[in-house]
Amino acid sequence: MPGDAFRLLVPEIILVAAAVLIYVFGAFVNARALWGWTALAALAAAAFVLLGTSLSPVDTGPVAADHLALYTRWLTLAAGAVLTLIALRPLETTGQPEYVGSLLLAIAGTMLVSAADELVLLFLGLELISIPTYIMLYLGRREATSQEAAAKYFFLSILSSAMLLYGFSFLYGATGTTDLDTVRQRLADGQDSTTAVYLARVALVFVFAGLGFRITAVPFHFYAPDVYQGTTHANAGFLSVLPKIAGVLALVRIVAIAMEDIGPYPWRVAAALAVVTMTLGNVVALWQNNIRRLLAYSSIAHAGYMLIGLAVYLASPTANRFFDGVAAVLLYLLVYAVATLGAFSALSCLGRGDRQVDSIDELAGLAWSGGAVRPALAWALAIFMFSLAGLPPLAGFWGKLAIFGSALMVRTVRDGIPLWFWMLAVIGVLNAAVSAAYYLRVIGAMFFRPSSDAPARPAEMGGALVATVLCAILAVGIGLSGWNWFPLADRASPRQVRATPVTAATAPMADVGPLVAAEVPR
Amino acid sequence: MNRLLLVTIFLPVAGALLCFGSRTWIRWAALATTLVTLALALVLAASFPRGAAEFAVFDVPWFGGSSPSLDIRFSFGLDGLSLWLFALTALLMPVCVLVSWEAITEHVAAYYALLLLLGTGMLGVFAARDIILFYVFFEFTLIPLFFLIGIWGSEERRHAAIKFFLFTLAGSLLTFLGLVAIVVWNYFHSPSGVLTFSIPRLSLELIRAPIDPALQMWIFIALFAGFAIKVPLFPLHTWLPLAHVQAPTAGSVLLAGVLLKIGTYGFVRFSLPMLPDAAAAAMPWLLWLSVAGIIYGALVALAQQDIKRLIAYSSVSHLGFCMLGVFAINMLGMEGGVLQMVNHGLSTGALFALVGMLYERYHTREIARFGGIARRLPVLAFFMLFMSLASIGLPGLNGFVGEFLLLMGMFQRAWLDPPVEWSLQFKIISVLAVSGVVLGAWYMLALVKSVFFGPLHEPGGDAEHAHDHVPAGDLKFREVLALAPLAIVILWIGIWPEFFLARMRPTLQMVTARVQPSLERLEREQAIAAETESQDLAGEPGRRDSTTRSAMLATPAQVPTAHLARVSVREEMPSGAARCVPLEAAGPTSREEPTRAR
Repeated sequence: MPGDAFRLLVPEIILVAAAVLIYVFGAFVNARALWGWTALAALAAAAFVLLGTSLSPVDTGPVAADHLALYTRWLTLAAGAVLTLIALRPLETTGQPEYVGSLLLAIAGTMLVSAADELVLLFLGLELISIPTYIMLYLGRREATSQEAAAKYFFLSILSSAMLLYGFSFLYGATGTTDLDTVRQRLADGQDSTTAVYLARVALVFVFAGLGFRITAVPFHFYAPDVYQGTTHANAGFLSVLPKIAGVLALVRIVAIAMEDIGPYPWRVAAALAVVTMTLGNVVALWQNNIRRLLAYSSIAHAGYMLIGLAVYLASPTANRFFDGVAAVLLYLLVYAVATLGAFSALSCLGRGDRQVDSIDELAGLAWSGGAVRPALAWALAIFMFSLAGLPPLAGFWGKLAIFGSALMVRTVRDGIPLWFWMLAVIGVLNAAVSAAYYLRVIGAMFFRPSSDAPARPAEMGGALVATVLCAILAVGIGLSGWNWFPLADRASPRQVRATPVTAATAPMADVGPLVAAEVPR
Repeated sequence: MNRLLLVTIFLPVAGALLCFGSRTWIRWAALATTLVTLALALVLAASFPRGAAEFAVFDVPWFGGSSPSLDIRFSFGLDGLSLWLFALTALLMPVCVLVSWEAITEHVAAYYALLLLLGTGMLGVFAARDIILFYVFFEFTLIPLFFLIGIWGSEERRHAAIKFFLFTLAGSLLTFLGLVAIVVWNYFHSPSGVLTFSIPRLSLELIRAPIDPALQMWIFIALFAGFAIKVPLFPLHTWLPLAHVQAPTAGSVLLAGVLLKIGTYGFVRFSLPMLPDAAAAAMPWLLWLSVAGIIYGALVALAQQDIKRLIAYSSVSHLGFCMLGVFAINMLGMEGGVLQMVNHGLSTGALFALVGMLYERYHTREIARFGGIARRLPVLAFFMLFMSLASIGLPGLNGFVGEFLLLMGMFQRAWLDPPVEWSLQFKIISVLAVSGVVLGAWYMLALVKSVFFGPLHEPGGDAEHAHDHVPAGDLKFREVLALAPLAIVILWIGIWPEFFLARMRPTLQMVTARVQPSLERLEREQAIAAETESQDLAGEPGRRDSTTRSAMLATPAQVPTAHLARVSVREEMPSGAARCVPLEAAGPTSREEPTRAR
């Protein structure tokens, strides 16, 4: 049986192996581009293996072999490929092999989180993201602000990991297992045993706190603006996508699936966090002049929209036939990743000398600044901004439709009334309107202002330009074929998952005992 | 025909792809595209059969075609409501290209590409028969116009573009939420159990299973947010003058001519038929807002120093008339309101084009700096006078027909069959609305008089533009070509409105018939309340009360005019009914029935 689990994790193993290879030989071979290409090759190999992954009903132990895992792993691989493309640009600093290697590890970590059906593996995956992130943040730029950003991220990340682990220990204490399926069953069975449910509620708070850091939910968002501002565009793009995917997936696995039956608390926490997160993110973004800071607040706001979907899922005891909550979140992750990665890769094509673009003012007149590339970048950025604002016919619209649709579809709520969710949708929609204001400021600067001294582009944009074009095509393509992406996300939703025979077959096997649980100390 | 409709809608996008290369080529490509689009639209309009409910329907499953319980369709079609707005859009597109011909010198390729994209967006809004599709086009129109205003506008263009965008977006997002709420409600309550976004299907299913009245009100408010901002209704109009004044000429023409109509169109397409109870209950509010817009817009227009700003405020006033007609909720008002949408598009679109032409010649729009221009530019002055008269409502031109019909509708509603409690306020509203017509004549004629007549004085003397300022020449052939078609259609509607009205009537009858029962129920309730009150005052409580109440509840209120009777179920009126309108009272309006009958 461990063999099955290992076979499922071959893509991650390939990535880690490639990372190790790059780390070791990077010290000896000074060929910058080579390592980027190696990483891309590793990603392609991982994708090839993932393509062959079947969802056959086998006992997979701590690794989930469901559509949820598959969807997210594909999403992570694609996002990782875009990030690697951006990193293909030779950095001014040394450390290219280390950077690419760390990126591969973080991608592998995110994929591991996506597939983890067990608390310890999940935590390992999260740490596999965090630790390379510290290295990447240090490698990014050699300035006081970037060092400060890296240090800030490091300490807060450690703190959040500790909180998460503390939460896990409560969950373990309540149920005596780390296997999430078993946790779910025991919490469901033991609803009369109040101790377990109380412990689970405590765990809930800590899990939200720990993972709230990853998805930049208010009030765990404080690091994001400073870190984004202090680091490179490539790193900011990385931070705004991969940890968010991991955090959302972990929330789905732990809260939405495992803690489904501990009463109305989960959805109330999620809904409250959603309101605070999107409102604060959007409102504060209005005052930002630094483009990365602005996008940091925008990424906070988007986390808020995603939490709406999560709250919907947690609140309704039965599945929404259409617009399932988690499916909406998964779709939102996709469209958010496309637009955000696109925006950061477009920005990383710009700069003056070895300085990168910082303030919105530096983008002034970009659309009319001559040449073919810069206007194209301006139009691409406009597409990404409109997509983030949720305007049809771009990808972001379908994400918003799914999220708000899911809130309106709620009919029965655990200990509550659907009106709450209608209000949540109204608040979300008003937030979307507010968010348009700052996205428009970016567009307005690029198109409506005279180009005084437009940012010169660096000599070599490398893969970032390719990444930009790719993301722009995706943003428009997904926008035009919107509904076709719903079934993909819908199939990945846990409620659909449980209905398929895949996990139905594994569910009874869970009693045999999780692989790792036996070894977990305490 | 259905393929033709699809081609018409998406042709401008194809044209946008041709917009590269030299300026001459781009302009001709854009003109050719818009002319072909216009030709196709005219073919569609000409072959629209009288009395047809829908025409040229193109309908395929869009998304989720495999799932039987999900119904999102890629569906276009024309009906009486959308037909003329669709044609109006196609007509204004070449006009826009022609007025931009020389005015646009920077970023020409982007300009025409965006203009053409905007064209597709507007055509799609009117033809869409699916809520998702409608919303996609609805929002999509914002993006090109945002760029058109922001890049090619006047001094304050950035501010104007962003304000316009944010105002409209904030409203339309709430509208979208409302629309999705309708869809979801229908999914849970209709017997079919299909999540359908199809507009005709929703309208049908909501007759059988109408939305809970309390919820209707909330959804109505959500829809109102977007549509009222778009119209713009009185307190929400603040974005409009700014956007109009700062936009390039073509932007103003399309904004006034087409985009504002999307708001009124939305009310007639969604709010009335899908939320009839709420529409009936909100009627006095909407009417008050409309009449406030009429008066306020006219008064503010009177005080303007800038020609374009004046016309922008006149738009607020005119759109108030459209809304007044629509929310009179009877056939006369509805026909007048919808026709007035088209009229306003023609005359105000032309007026904005004319102001643009004047501006190109003198680089100013300040009224005080002009005088006696008719002597210098007789052709321009002729068109200006013609369009102003059309806008005022001179009999024989289109404005008269629309305003007359919609005011008739309002008067009919106020005097012949008002719900009791609202009777007085409806009368006040009607009278105030008529005074708006007078004000409209006042500000337009004052404008024409001070700019075009009197002693000649031209603003050309300033040093800034002296070097490139040869004495302004009259309209060029190109400019006449842009205005002449509008003038012809204006005359056509003025002389033979039945041609247009006949084609829109079946759809509007359906809409009216959908709201009528709710209105009647509301009237009955109010009548009962009034009756009870008077009985209480008369000191004989309860004795006749129960019998009267049941008798009245069982009776639908009498439908006073013949064309309303056509669309609603007429029943014999029991003698015990407390409130009835004598049939003689309906005489004046039904007398014109023979000319209007099919």
